Amino acid sequence: MTAIGKRAGRSAMLADPAPTGWQVLNRFTLGSDTAIQITILAVTLAIWQISASRLGMEFWISSPAGIWRAFGKWAANGVMLGDIRTTIIEAGIGFVLGSSIGGLVGFVLGWVRRLGDIFEPFVIAFYTLPKVALAPLFVLWFGIGMGNKIMFATLLVFFMVFFTTFQGTRQVDRDLVSNARLLGASRWQIWTKIALPHASVWLFAGIRIGLPYALIGAIVGEFIAAENGVGFRIREATSFYDTSAVFAGLIVLMGISMVCLAALKIIETRALRWQNVRDLTPAG
Amino acid sequence: MMAAVADDVTVTELTPEFSFTDVSVRFGSFVAMGPATLEVRQREFLVIIGPSGCGKSTLLNLAAGTLQTRTGSVLHRGAPLRGINHDVGYITQKNYCLPWRTVEANVRLPLEFRRWPAAKIKLRAAAAIAQVGLTGFENAYPKQLSGGMLQRVLIARTLAYNPSTYLLDEPFGSLDAQLRMHMHRELMRLWQTTASTFVFVTHDLHEAITLADRVVVMSGRPGRIKLIVDIDIPRPRDVVDIQSDPRFGAYFKTLWTALSDD
Ligand SMILES: Nc1ncnc2c1ncn2[C@@H]1O[C@H](COP(=O)(O)OP(=O)(O)OP(=O)(O)O)[C@@H](O)[C@H]1O
Ligand SMILES: [Mg+2]
Repeated sequence: MTAIGKRAGRSAMLADPAPTGWQVLNRFTLGSDTAIQITILAVTLAIWQISASRLGMEFWISSPAGIWRAFGKWAANGVMLGDIRTTIIEAGIGFVLGSSIGGLVGFVLGWVRRLGDIFEPFVIAFYTLPKVALAPLFVLWFGIGMGNKIMFATLLVFFMVFFTTFQGTRQVDRDLVSNARLLGASRWQIWTKIALPHASVWLFAGIRIGLPYALIGAIVGEFIAAENGVGFRIREATSFYDTSAVFAGLIVLMGISMVCLAALKIIETRALRWQNVRDLTPAG
Repeated sequence: MMAAVADDVTVTELTPEFSFTDVSVRFGSFVAMGPATLEVRQREFLVIIGPSGCGKSTLLNLAAGTLQTRTGSVLHRGAPLRGINHDVGYITQKNYCLPWRTVEANVRLPLEFRRWPAAKIKLRAAAAIAQVGLTGFENAYPKQLSGGMLQRVLIARTLAYNPSTYLLDEPFGSLDAQLRMHMHRELMRLWQTTASTFVFVTHDLHEAITLADRVVVMSGRPGRIKLIVDIDIPRPRDVVDIQSDPRFGAYFKTLWTALSDD
């Protein structure tokens, strides 16, 4: 109600010529991105449903209706919330630990030239290692409980955040530092007022890249050995050839990571506000 | 006015702001500058010109204490210069505004480094911003400003802590001619209102004559002091009218000749 009132008021003020019916339709329905996106989604679901039921492919690709039923079953059991909670706790703790340790170590090694030079070969050696291959070893070290998934998620996130922060921080303009020294900065002030804000762009980039890996770590851990969690449920469903339940699990994962990414985006735009400021077009 | 500083050096108005005596700088076996001997007088506006690569920036770096490997002696107000010289403000062509700080926060930076009380910082920053004509842009980010405005932020940041010497290394090199003249007018006003010494490096002879009390011409690499010209044009000077002063043409010719027979 109020929004419509406002819009009407503003266009009256700007004395817009009244849009034709076709323009209104075009602007708010057919032309808008949201409308197109909803259309794409609907068409995809329809094709999916039809190919599943008419072409007899339901066993392989499930179907939107089947997934809906699987959701119902999963939720009715009362298991779904527990599974989601387990996975979120594993990924969440892993994310917090991994990104704080990774960010800190990456920042320090990136900023202190000497340390960075010393550790670079080790860093590269680890970089080339496919970290997922360490998962079985983690079962050995940390058992099959949540600890194992937390540690594995921490490891994956750590590496992603570490590499990005390390590489980015190393590129810092050294002249900026000597200029700050000239302006009277102490060593500590150079760290807090120059180095850290300067590195924060890469820190955030690293965290954004690392976030999905928290979930990957938790899921891979659950695939290998677990008693519950979304990843465990997906694997269990696969072994029963229950494609619908597998897809239901995948959709839950997609939802979790989209919510996390949106939250991160909000924090990031607040912290890095200076990057997104608009032109002032100053007068004179 | 007399003031005593460390090393039992008595500083009078006649003590040079800087004295360079037989100073040479090498990078490895490559002689970048000197040997050069030069006195910078207190409160003067000294302009340094010379061919590219002759060591003008190197000379400023010595005065700022950011470059310390040299032979010969560098005195600041009679005392040997050791470490970074916090009495100077250094303004370069390269812009060192911090992009994540607003104009006001950039100007505050040196005062925060000096741990001034917050209220005093606020007043001082506002005054400095007003002095360079940026009032109203306190909350803008460097990204949102033009080249001329950015240079003004650097100038405001420098004058906020009131250094005894301003070192300016081609500060207006990237500005268009009109804005440059405008900045010359403001810089001369600033120089007159502060009690500071200005050392200004440029390639532009017009700029040199307009601003300077004295112009130092350096020879090609390794730069030595080739000629020092006193610019006897009375102040206050008008940045436009000065160009039609007959003395202006004469100085231009002298400096041009000195520069081109290298
Ligand atoms: N850190 C350094 N290492 C090696 N050589 C250097 C270094 N800094 C400067 N030089 C050299 O010393 C010489 C003098 O440099 P400087 O920057 O002082 O010249 P300049 O007179 O300021 O030149 P321009 O007018 O181009 O700015 C140049 O030949 C330069 O290549
Ligand atoms: Mg230079």
